[in-house]
Amino acid sequence: MHNPRLRLVGELSFTLLLVGFSLFMLWQAYAISKFESITSAGSFPMFVTALMVIAGLIIVGQTARSKPLPGEAGESALQQFTRQITPGVVVSFTLSIAVYMTLLGVLGFVVSSYLFLVVSMWLLGSRRVVLNLVVSALSLAAIYVIFQTVFSVVLPTSSLFKGFMS
Amino acid sequence: MTEALPFFFMTWADPWLLFLTAAGTFAGIYIGAIPGLSVTMAVSILISFTFKWNVNDALALISGIFLGGVYGGSRSAILLNIPGAPSAIATGLDGYPLAKRGEAGAAIGLTTVVSVFGGFVGILALALAAPAVSALALKFAPRDYLMLAIWGILLVGSLSGGSLAKGIFAGALGVLIGSVGLDPMTAEPRFTFGSLQLTSGISYVAAMIGFFGVAEVLAQLHELRLKAVKQDVSKIIPSWALLRKYLPLATRTSAIGVVVGALPGAGGDIAALMAYDHAKRTVKNPSRPFGEGAYEGLVAPESANNAAVGGAYIPMMTLGIPGDAVTAVIIGAMYIHGLKPGPLLMIETPHLFWFQVGALTLANCFLLIFGLTGIKLFAKVVETPKSILLPLILVLSAVGAYAISNNPVDVYWMLGFGVIGYFLKIYGFQVGPVILGMILGPLMDRSYRQAMISAEGNVVQFAGEFFTAPLSFIILAALSFTIVSQTRWWKRLRGRA
Repeated sequence: MHNPRLRLVGELSFTLLLVGFSLFMLWQAYAISKFESITSAGSFPMFVTALMVIAGLIIVGQTARSKPLPGEAGESALQQFTRQITPGVVVSFTLSIAVYMTLLGVLGFVVSSYLFLVVSMWLLGSRRVVLNLVVSALSLAAIYVIFQTVFSVVLPTSSLFKGFMS
Repeated sequence: MTEALPFFFMTWADPWLLFLTAAGTFAGIYIGAIPGLSVTMAVSILISFTFKWNVNDALALISGIFLGGVYGGSRSAILLNIPGAPSAIATGLDGYPLAKRGEAGAAIGLTTVVSVFGGFVGILALALAAPAVSALALKFAPRDYLMLAIWGILLVGSLSGGSLAKGIFAGALGVLIGSVGLDPMTAEPRFTFGSLQLTSGISYVAAMIGFFGVAEVLAQLHELRLKAVKQDVSKIIPSWALLRKYLPLATRTSAIGVVVGALPGAGGDIAALMAYDHAKRTVKNPSRPFGEGAYEGLVAPESANNAAVGGAYIPMMTLGIPGDAVTAVIIGAMYIHGLKPGPLLMIETPHLFWFQVGALTLANCFLLIFGLTGIKLFAKVVETPKSILLPLILVLSAVGAYAISNNPVDVYWMLGFGVIGYFLKIYGFQVGPVILGMILGPLMDRSYRQAMISAEGNVVQFAGEFFTAPLSFIILAALSFTIVSQTRWWKRLRGRA
């Protein structure tokens, strides 16, 4: 039944990072109320973060023992990481989300979402520009109408076009 | 019992509630079926849109989406060999071979009917068992709630295929995120790093959308190029003789679905796999060998996963402990509407329980109607390219995260959790326990401290009560078994037996 998993590139570093984070949070949990009482505000968070440290260490052990997934011939670890874990499409799409979120407050929901939809559809391989423009406009119109009217949701407004459009 | 009837039929009599349940079921089928969209993701996003609504409206819509979504996953498993939801993994094993033989329509028809049957069995179990469980739950001490919550998180983490240590880590991470802000008992700041923003805590809706929406979208980018195959979807309605033949199997597997669904942490995905295994072991002469298009391979998982919906509502409504990730999100929705699922909910607001049972029953009826119609259009919709679908999900996620408190910071939290969730998923962690941990964390914290205070801060007395109180001992035994059964020693021992 035991199915040994092959170790992905960067997995060991990631698990070590989790242990480091858990240790930091354990220290933060200790700082809440130190060892003042067993029912103090910090007692349960200390227990939880200590559990994270222990589980994290076990995961590090398990990961270190597992066999690494072999890369392609002549491929460096960084190249393997870029290919398997953070391929270009993931990085570019994540960056476009970050830009979209920043623009939400500046350009408002309609303009920034339209730009995001058109650009990201193209980024993800939909090369029919006219189709992307039309699908983005139609779906955005549907989202706008449904959420503004049916759900009464307040959509992010523009700081640039205040009072002109949301 | 008769006083429950008006609440049971509320969704049936009110045109608006009727419409919302129908719309939810219809949308749920598509959401469940489109690979890349999950019911958990949809309900997470939906919560942020419906929190201003009347609680009945929100529950009617969510009930439809949940039932429709669990069923919808089977559609893409049959048509594309890509399970639209984890609960449909077993369905694809025989569903897709049937589709390749030109029997996609028949497979969908049979799946629909047995799903509806399973759904009714689950709802019946909910209606009958919940009041009894709720009465029993009144006897639960805080330490029992603490153990039930831990059990739920562990089950979600480990039973769904991941390692126990990773399940524990993910659950504890969720509890940690949930404890950011002011301590509810002493108002001391915890993990706020001096930030005023953090004193009000981290919005779990933003976290849910991040972990289930954004992380899933990013993970889906690895499979952008998957192409759909055209299928024959004529001859949908199954014959009466066929249904009668499979009724005994559907009844047995629905019972499995209810029991597994009712276990804290185990949902439709595990129920479906267990039911498939049961069918493989007990059906002597399947219509075709299992894995090559056996109808039994459709009947078992599909009746079980829909029966698990009713089952999952039992611990959610009676104990406030979610049966799976979706019910964890629904608990979040109930909290937002000012409700506290648990034994007192059943006593103080029994009408809400019967309303919920009525909404699920109605949604199940709509499932039959929508499940047997519009399949040709459906086959087109599920072929929507991911390059169009994923950006749209992202826009919906951003609107959802923003809408909860009109705060742009929540949108950034969503992205942050999305990126963390992506790496967790890639490296084999389950994100379900994180959300369960966030939802159950405050309950665990409170229960631990209440139990410790009642033991007068004496650790030995606190530990001793787990063994001296019969109910606590039973839960402790179940919890210990869950942990031990996940260890390598236990697996080796079973392998030898």
